[in-house]
Amino acid sequence: MVPPPVVTGLSPNDGPPGTRITIRGENFGTKATDLVGNLMRINQFKSNTEWKSPSKIIAISGPGKGLGDVIVSTKVGGVGTCNVKFKGYKNENIGPMKDSAVWVEETSFYPWDRHSLSSSSFQQDDPLGLSVEGTERKLSEDDLNEKFPSASGDITSENFSACWFLLENHLATSFNDLQAGLLHLKRKVEGQKEGHLSFLKTNVGAVMDQVDTLILLKEKYGSDLDEFGSEPTLKLEKAIKESEREARKLYDDVLTRRDRAEKTRNALNVLSRFKFLFCLPCSIDRNIKKGDYDIVINDYMRVKNLFLKRDIPVFKMALNEIERCIVGIKKQLHVKLVKMPIHVDEQKRLIRYLINLDSSFEPAWDAINGHADYLHSRMKQCYEEHKAAIVEDLNKSKNSNLSSKYSKFAAMHDTNHCPQNVFYVEEMCDIISELFPDIWKLGQSYFTGELHVKVEPGHKTAFKHTVLNIMEVFCKRLRAAIIPHSLDRNTDRNTYEAWTLPDIDVMAVYLPDCLRYVRLSYAILVKLDLPSDALDIVLAFISDLRIHCMCVLFKKTTDNIKRLSKQEKWKVEVSGSHNGITDLPLNFENAVQDLIQVIAESVLKSEAREGPLGESTSSKRIRQTGSSDDDDDDEIRSPIVSQLIGTPSFVYRSRTHNQKPAWEHRLLMTLANCQYTMNAVLKNIVEAFSKNGYNISPNIIRKSRTDLENLERSILESYLEQKSDPLVGTIEPSMYLGRFDWDTNITPTDLRPYAKECINNLIHVHFEVNSISSKLVDSVLPQVVQTIAEELYRLMSCVQKFSTAGIQQAHVDISALQEFFQGYSTPKAKDHFKEAMELIPPLKQPDLTIVEDILQKCRTKMRLQVLCLQKS
Amino acid sequence: MSKKPTVQPALHKVIMVGSGGVGKSALTLQFMYDEFVEDYEPTKADSYRKKILLDGEDVQIDILDTAGQEDYAAIRDHYFRSGEGFLCIFSITEDESFQATQEFREQILRVKNDENIPFLLVGNKCDLEDKRKVSFQEASERARQWGVPYVETSAKTREHVDKVFFDLMREIRARKMEENKANNGRGKDRKKKSIKCVIL
Ligand SMILES: Nc1nc2c(ncn2[C@@H]2O[C@H](COP(=O)(O)OP(=O)(O)OP(=O)(O)O)[C@@H](O)[C@H]2O)c(=O)[nH]1
Ligand SMILES: [Mg+2]
Repeated sequence: MVPPPVVTGLSPNDGPPGTRITIRGENFGTKATDLVGNLMRINQFKSNTEWKSPSKIIAISGPGKGLGDVIVSTKVGGVGTCNVKFKGYKNENIGPMKDSAVWVEETSFYPWDRHSLSSSSFQQDDPLGLSVEGTERKLSEDDLNEKFPSASGDITSENFSACWFLLENHLATSFNDLQAGLLHLKRKVEGQKEGHLSFLKTNVGAVMDQVDTLILLKEKYGSDLDEFGSEPTLKLEKAIKESEREARKLYDDVLTRRDRAEKTRNALNVLSRFKFLFCLPCSIDRNIKKGDYDIVINDYMRVKNLFLKRDIPVFKMALNEIERCIVGIKKQLHVKLVKMPIHVDEQKRLIRYLINLDSSFEPAWDAINGHADYLHSRMKQCYEEHKAAIVEDLNKSKNSNLSSKYSKFAAMHDTNHCPQNVFYVEEMCDIISELFPDIWKLGQSYFTGELHVKVEPGHKTAFKHTVLNIMEVFCKRLRAAIIPHSLDRNTDRNTYEAWTLPDIDVMAVYLPDCLRYVRLSYAILVKLDLPSDALDIVLAFISDLRIHCMCVLFKKTTDNIKRLSKQEKWKVEVSGSHNGITDLPLNFENAVQDLIQVIAESVLKSEAREGPLGESTSSKRIRQTGSSDDDDDDEIRSPIVSQLIGTPSFVYRSRTHNQKPAWEHRLLMTLANCQYTMNAVLKNIVEAFSKNGYNISPNIIRKSRTDLENLERSILESYLEQKSDPLVGTIEPSMYLGRFDWDTNITPTDLRPYAKECINNLIHVHFEVNSISSKLVDSVLPQVVQTIAEELYRLMSCVQKFSTAGIQQAHVDISALQEFFQGYSTPKAKDHFKEAMELIPPLKQPDLTIVEDILQKCRTKMRLQVLCLQKS
Repeated sequence: MSKKPTVQPALHKVIMVGSGGVGKSALTLQFMYDEFVEDYEPTKADSYRKKILLDGEDVQIDILDTAGQEDYAAIRDHYFRSGEGFLCIFSITEDESFQATQEFREQILRVKNDENIPFLLVGNKCDLEDKRKVSFQEASERARQWGVPYVETSAKTREHVDKVFFDLMREIRARKMEENKANNGRGKDRKKKSIKCVIL
């Protein structure tokens, strides 16, 4: 059930018939046709009623005087009620020249309009025949209405109330006057009652006069007819028409002037009232020049709110103008937005503007793409610049070659000259560190809705793809520049042309720097909280670079070490514990220590840092990479370390062959070096490795040690070869010197010369070794002694026959040698001596004492020699 | 239909006064119908009446929205006579309208001949803070001199719109209760009463 309509507001609340009234209230129906009509006092009118909304209609008031309800009826709600009243009053006709406070409908709706015009003139006579001029005291109609409900002061009205009339018109009239008025009224009524005859009677004089006048008129008319013809008014008519035309001319002039004035005034009014609207294009221009886009947007919103819904053509025009302006601004802003380089905050602001302006673009997404494109183009530009620089360098060096021949790549291979590759890497890293965070931040704000834009569904994956692509391209470009071999042979090598790499020595100097640059960029990326897929790409590159860097550093050091041997100066260091060594092993150790230092600083040190960094994102993956790193490193290291250690052996041996005088000394020095390397240097190196977190595998150490041992052995062998061969070789000839035969009959008195010579020779060797390094004595002398013992054994076994004296002599010789060499005899040497003794036939009792005597004599005689060979 | 109020609820007659364009109609329409009219259509005289709940009591408010334009100044006297309370509006963005309140105040006091007539000084369009021409201090100083409250409103944002109407009605109600108690009061509306005497 729909409630009946209620009227709660009228605007205006009074007016003459034909007033346009805005009626407000409730339940005026849901559409225009619901309205049945509205009652205003006694007049019912449905036409001239305009339905605006369920709470508002506009109607034109009907003819009717006094207060009345305004009743609205609808089809569904029926007849309604009314809270406020409308007061109609007599239609005072307002001519075109008269001032009026309200809008006057000049077109006449109602047939009664004309009628009321005449009736108002009739109204002017007071029925009491009294003058109403002096009644300045008047009662308001409201008050009267209150006193006399449903009555009226209108004398022609059905519910005329005399009291009302008197109060309204004769409030100030004195009682006497009123009495007189009453008499007057009565007389009038009487007069009407008496009828026509009495009327004639009382007015007979006048009637006669009228009859006379009528006759006169007729006569006059007759004579006029004769005089002027049957149409006496023709001329008059013409004159009237003429004057009418003249009047109209005058009047039209006034009217048009008034119209024009009105129009101008209206236009001025509109202009000043809507100054804001019309000035907006100008102020937009001004504000844009000042860069106050916020104000522009604000104004634009306001204008749109205020005027968009209006159908007035002028507004439409102005709005169109503004709209054109705004479209221009949008374009301009968009151009600004994608024009790089640009700060993110600035960009965010532009995006906000564009969104506020409701632009058709996707500003945020365009901005992201713009950034990505810019990044790519910067990378490309960087690449081209450096390529060009390389070409320039080449040309320069070629030009200089024209003058100085045969040094083609001198300029490029100059170690002091930092290669373009490195500059390139540095600049690329700078580009990424500088530009990428912007893209990422922008993307984040876009997807978190911070920019107040609706996120297109496909964009998330597209953005991820963009990010991954950037990382990919960045890494591949860098790979091409410094580790081209790590590029995929089939696909990437075509797109990313591999650079010519500078010399490995140069690379070794700059690779750690490159690694540092890349790491710095990586740290920035990690801070951005990138997804692990993106970080992985860079991480993979970094670990490749690390491995490569390590390889290069190792290789360079190896080369350096190889070159070390050429710098040997054979200057013996006489240091406390390791005398006899040259500076070679120290140089070697230094080289390796330096390498470890560099690696620890660049490749290894940061590994520890990366670990924790990566922990939060994908620690497991990084650890895997880390361990695989180590595997790789081990593979690299094992040949390198062994090469390091193998190198001296090669060098030393070649040295030995080219030796000029004192080669025995050099051999001994080498031997000392070798031992020093094995005992001290190797240990130091292993320690240094592990101290810097580089777990060197025991295999390598073992292998190195074996290498060193082999080397030592071979050096020793060659020394022994050089030394004991002549020593041993002299034994046999000097034994049989002077046609000596063991089947002799000369009784021995002393050691034979060959034995003495042998002892002296050994002492000589001892001296030589000892002069280089006392440590070596222990490793050299026993070997010599052993060969001597072996030779003696061989010589003894070759003796065919011993005489008694020969037996005695042999006993003396061998025993003496066995005794004197005791200190440096290996078990094998001892065996040889024993076997040699066994080959000599045993001594008889008296001979034994003779031999003992001789030996005793020898001991005292050769006391100095014995002391020399005694172990301290 | 219903003739003159054979009323159950008390009727409070409120009159909106103030210069043209200050927002009298806007305030009234906002209060009555919760709508904001952007366009400016000068008012002649509009009547509104509806039932509302004032502190739990059913009352009827009758609002007479008068003309601000000078053209209608002549008919003001007549309106003011029937008012029980006045909202005297000016626009904080227009100093002239503020100066005009002095005139309105004087005219009301003259017509009503009552210093204590319920009256509120209202500074409208307070949403247009950036265009403010009349400071809060200045306006409240004048209100203090008159001994009336000063409230700032916005017909656009509806800020304090209900407040000014309800505050005024509370004052009117308080006044009426006072008058009822002192039933033999001085009778300011002597004209009405004297006329009644003459008739009866
Ligand atoms: N921004 C803003 N505009 C307002 C406010 N109140 C009224 N207006 C605007 O001011 C203009 C005049 O408002 P009206 O309410 O018609 O003014 P009035 O006081 O009734 O004027 P008269 O009827 O001539 O006395 C209109 O365009 C309204 O939209 C307000 O609080 N804030
Ligand atoms: Mg108004």
